[in-house]
Amino acid sequence: MAESPAFESPVVRSYDTASDGALTLADASATVKWLVRASADGAVAGRLGAPFGSSRAAAGGALVLGSRPGEWIVLGEAGAVAEEVDGIDGLDPSDLVTALDWTHGRALFRVTGPEASAMLEKVCSLDWSDPMTPDGAVASASVAKVTCDLARNDLDGVPSYLIFCDRSFGQYLFDALIDAGNEFGLCVGPGGL
Amino acid sequence: MLLVPCPYCGPRNSVDLRYGGESQPRPDPATATPEQWRGYLYRRDNPADWLRENWYCRSGCRRWFTVERNTATNEFRHPPMPGDKRGGKA
Ligand SMILES: [Zn+2]
Repeated sequence: MAESPAFESPVVRSYDTASDGALTLADASATVKWLVRASADGAVAGRLGAPFGSSRAAAGGALVLGSRPGEWIVLGEAGAVAEEVDGIDGLDPSDLVTALDWTHGRALFRVTGPEASAMLEKVCSLDWSDPMTPDGAVASASVAKVTCDLARNDLDGVPSYLIFCDRSFGQYLFDALIDAGNEFGLCVGPGGL
Repeated sequence: MLLVPCPYCGPRNSVDLRYGGESQPRPDPATATPEQWRGYLYRRDNPADWLRENWYCRSGCRRWFTVERNTATNEFRHPPMPGDKRGGKA
């Protein structure tokens, strides 16, 4: 995996909030993220092991999200992501496979708390109920009018959601999430996944 | 709100999709007459009834699909199968 230049988050302006609370927003944009595209039912799909709409926690620590039919996001520590994506574009010469480090191309936020889904309902029309969006579910949808990839990734049983958007919308989406979470006492948590 | 049955994403709010209009077979450009081509581009049946139409899942799976909607009641029927491109653009 090629060395990436130093990462600079698209979020350059944060907010003074309470230092802890039941609902937190974290900027996890620096997390290493790869995008893989291949046919939805080939060898690459088999190795990634996360059909569209689902996710898989790899043994090495990476998280694999089936973000669209034939499209995956792999994220986590650099070494863990490398375990999943190294050599994947040569796995099946009969398939058109692209594997791209888009760490710098996408902003990533994590919203955590019992009321996280109530907050997200304000800005996204997905059905956030447990039967439709259980832990591990992956979807794409508009969040505050920005097309985002979304994954539910609970932390110790507490509902938690990962939200990816284009880097250039990162600050806007961060602001919009702050605004949506205000009534729930949203606080900005430490950065990172 | 219109709940559109995307074959990949399931029922989704229509604001996450783009309406692609009536689904009509595309004439062969090599043999179509100007009248046929104009009809394909501009003439619409516009029934107050069941209509076969194209939708693009813009904010979701980014796939085109075809489905039937009753334009008078906004019911959907015959949930489309993935890859169903009859008359569609994809
Ligand atoms: Zn869809």
